[in-house]
Amino acid sequence: MTTARTSLLAAALLASTALPALAQTRAETLRHVTGAAINTLDPNIPGSTREAFGLSLLTYDRLLSFGKKQLDGKWVFDLDKFQPELAESYTISPDGLKITFALRKDAKFHDGTPVTAEDVKWSLDRAVTANVLGKGQLLTGSLTSPDQFKVVDAHTFEVTLPKPDKLALANLAVVYPVIFNSKLAKSKATAEDPWALNWLKENTAGSGAYIIESYKPGETTILRRNPDWNRGSADKPAGFKRIITQTIPEAATRANLVEKGDADIVIDLQATDAADLEKKGKLKVVSTPQYNAITFVSFNNQIPPFDKIEVRKAIAAALPYEDMFKAALFGRGAPLYGATWADGKAPTGAIFPIPQPVKTDLEAAKKFLAAAGMPDGFSTTFSFNVGQAGTAEPMAALLKESLGKIGIKVDIQKLPDAQMSTLINEKKVPFFTEGIVAWLPSMDYFYRNFYIGPIRWNYSSLNDPQITEWAQAARFEPDAAKYAAYGKELNTRHFELMPQIPLWQPSQDAVMQPSVEGYVYQFHRQIDFRDLSRK
Amino acid sequence: MSSQLATTAKRAGRRFLSSLPALFGVLVFTFLLMRVLPGDPAVFFASGPTAGKEEIELIRKSMGLDKPVPEQLVRYLGDVGTGNLGRSLTTGQPVLSDLRNRLPASLELTFSALLIALFTAIPLGVAAALRQGSAVDHLVRFICALGVCVPTFVSGLLLIYAFYYLLGWAPDPTGRVDIFTSPPPLVTGFLLIDFAVAGDWEGWRAAARQLVLPAFTMALFVVAPLARITRAAMLASLGSDFVRTAKSLGLPRRKIIVTYALRNAILPVLTIAGIVFSTMLGANVLVEKVFSWPGVASYALDALLSSDYAPVQGFVLLMASIFVIVNLTVDVLYGIADPRVSVE
Repeated sequence: MTTARTSLLAAALLASTALPALAQTRAETLRHVTGAAINTLDPNIPGSTREAFGLSLLTYDRLLSFGKKQLDGKWVFDLDKFQPELAESYTISPDGLKITFALRKDAKFHDGTPVTAEDVKWSLDRAVTANVLGKGQLLTGSLTSPDQFKVVDAHTFEVTLPKPDKLALANLAVVYPVIFNSKLAKSKATAEDPWALNWLKENTAGSGAYIIESYKPGETTILRRNPDWNRGSADKPAGFKRIITQTIPEAATRANLVEKGDADIVIDLQATDAADLEKKGKLKVVSTPQYNAITFVSFNNQIPPFDKIEVRKAIAAALPYEDMFKAALFGRGAPLYGATWADGKAPTGAIFPIPQPVKTDLEAAKKFLAAAGMPDGFSTTFSFNVGQAGTAEPMAALLKESLGKIGIKVDIQKLPDAQMSTLINEKKVPFFTEGIVAWLPSMDYFYRNFYIGPIRWNYSSLNDPQITEWAQAARFEPDAAKYAAYGKELNTRHFELMPQIPLWQPSQDAVMQPSVEGYVYQFHRQIDFRDLSRK
Repeated sequence: MSSQLATTAKRAGRRFLSSLPALFGVLVFTFLLMRVLPGDPAVFFASGPTAGKEEIELIRKSMGLDKPVPEQLVRYLGDVGTGNLGRSLTTGQPVLSDLRNRLPASLELTFSALLIALFTAIPLGVAAALRQGSAVDHLVRFICALGVCVPTFVSGLLLIYAFYYLLGWAPDPTGRVDIFTSPPPLVTGFLLIDFAVAGDWEGWRAAARQLVLPAFTMALFVVAPLARITRAAMLASLGSDFVRTAKSLGLPRRKIIVTYALRNAILPVLTIAGIVFSTMLGANVLVEKVFSWPGVASYALDALLSSDYAPVQGFVLLMASIFVIVNLTVDVLYGIADPRVSVE
């Protein structure tokens, strides 16, 4: 009895002394709120959420990370510039087939083991061999086999490519090829699970800027700074001592929390709330058009009547772009309509997407319909998923009204997310809205991943030999001018075929306390907390 | 007295056994229903930017969905028999541990809400019955109607807006304890109890403060059925012979109302309270969402939206079991409130 009471007393004392210590570190703590949840600690596990990707880049290091550039005054990641993380430097052989990395000699994993080329080899082998997400991604950079990865000595590592590939380096900077502590991971591997997938799903074996202090899936994740981490730009540990990520499902509550100053940063508010908070002017709102994402109105080009180019063009001429942009996004984003192309050809080919020469013109739309042999229109359904309802619902209503004017009767279908993805994967939705995101937003990458083959992401089910050929050729074209020429052909062909209608690039609204500095829009659309600090 | 207890226990045991087939039916039915729903979890979770057929197959295989449905069912039943409810793709954790972690949160909230509701509804109902047709009666009716017509997410958001955003009296509506308060050592999972056991009264206050708004939001919604039933039952028992007799004998008014009328009126209230409790536990998903309460209902909803089979099946099984337990408890309470019930 007495001992029980003493231990209770001790616990109470401990609890009461812990409180002021926590309170002192409030300024050094960053509280981030989000609507989503982290479901694995290893980004390679099939089914990982985007938030899991975000977390893994804090707990793990890669060989390289992306640099940053300014786009219209906002900091965004730069696909063409790299920043060393575990690699101190790298050299590319003149023929472009060999990349040699010199690794940092002072880097240590969280348990104190030094990072060596063996660890890099094991991690990259895992990414291309095991049943993980890395496989599908890394092959877009010609990284497919363990034979390509060679340990030269403890701190020199070599990657061999079958062809010079512009995206090889970039692929080493995405979330999958993070570097694991191979000794630790191997000790947890089993005969059925040689790559320790099960163990790494629940545990971290990394060298990253943050160490997981507590992880409650679907509730909170608390990270503690790794004081020895010096892979940032300024050779010092990350800015915040603690990062708290909390799942708050209700968007309005997230807005309240950040407005009251209880939360420090949030990136998934509703567009209305972000606009409102920006107007009030108390908080810092960094609104970056997601230049690697596109929202489409899409058709399945194999399902009649959308197999007819004229029908697709009629719809492209009948969409009320401006109204949809205002109603769905409150104008927060970069529009991809309303351009003028002087000679009907794409003005540039270096990038995709570019603003399309489409505008609302009901007369033209009627002419296209008549040319398609359907002057009286037709009936169809327009689908979107529940998760997007906030933006898609007003958009669908406007679309229905406008298409009604040219005789196309639209039935709006709102589908649960899982059902919508299943139907899209089975190519059964005729007419719908969806978005895409490219981690590596180069022109050919978009065409290769979103317009070729019977995959889920080829929303329009386009099967055009011309586009396939040009996109594949552009991939390995080293000359920038020739690359842009391919791109110009591709962009022009895309407009002529109108497989789907790019609408806009929605903004990511990062709303934060004025004291938070250093926010950069990242390829995985999560916050890289290592960039942030408090003024 | 002891023989009465024994009959109650026997009756409860028989009831429990007879509910087992129902539980089994629920298990099989939910299993089949989830597979009939038009959403493929493998496709949904294979949402990586380069997700192809291969990745979808991987997930399907890891969930055991590549096998024929009857085989899946047999495996699932075997797993449930050994206490394995499968793994959630949404949280990446075993369903059993998810439910174990989250159930106390839901129960704590529901119990508090039910207590608040009972302590409000019974006096309101009694007052309305005593002054039938008066202003008091109408006021009670008005309050009940208001509580029922305002959906919980509206009243929840309103309460947050008023007490957190405008007045700043309530703590931020983000779960069970303030994020900067360290949680108590785990004993029961009920924070109020665990903090009290640890003697951490500061923490207890923090947990209680977090609980107030969501509990009131839920209570508001269920005051109506409880108050209406209390009123009706009270009216019936106030008009009955034994109350008239008691009155004619000149017993004190308080004794007549509380001891004779209310005790007799409490049976239907108990029944309704049992039903209300079970419904609240499952239906408080909106309250859990609005207040970021880490309970089982919001967990199940997230899983349902992404067609994540295992958590939904586990949740339905849990709810069915709770229903059985609540019914048993109500049965036992009946016996205590009205000894005649146990006579068969």
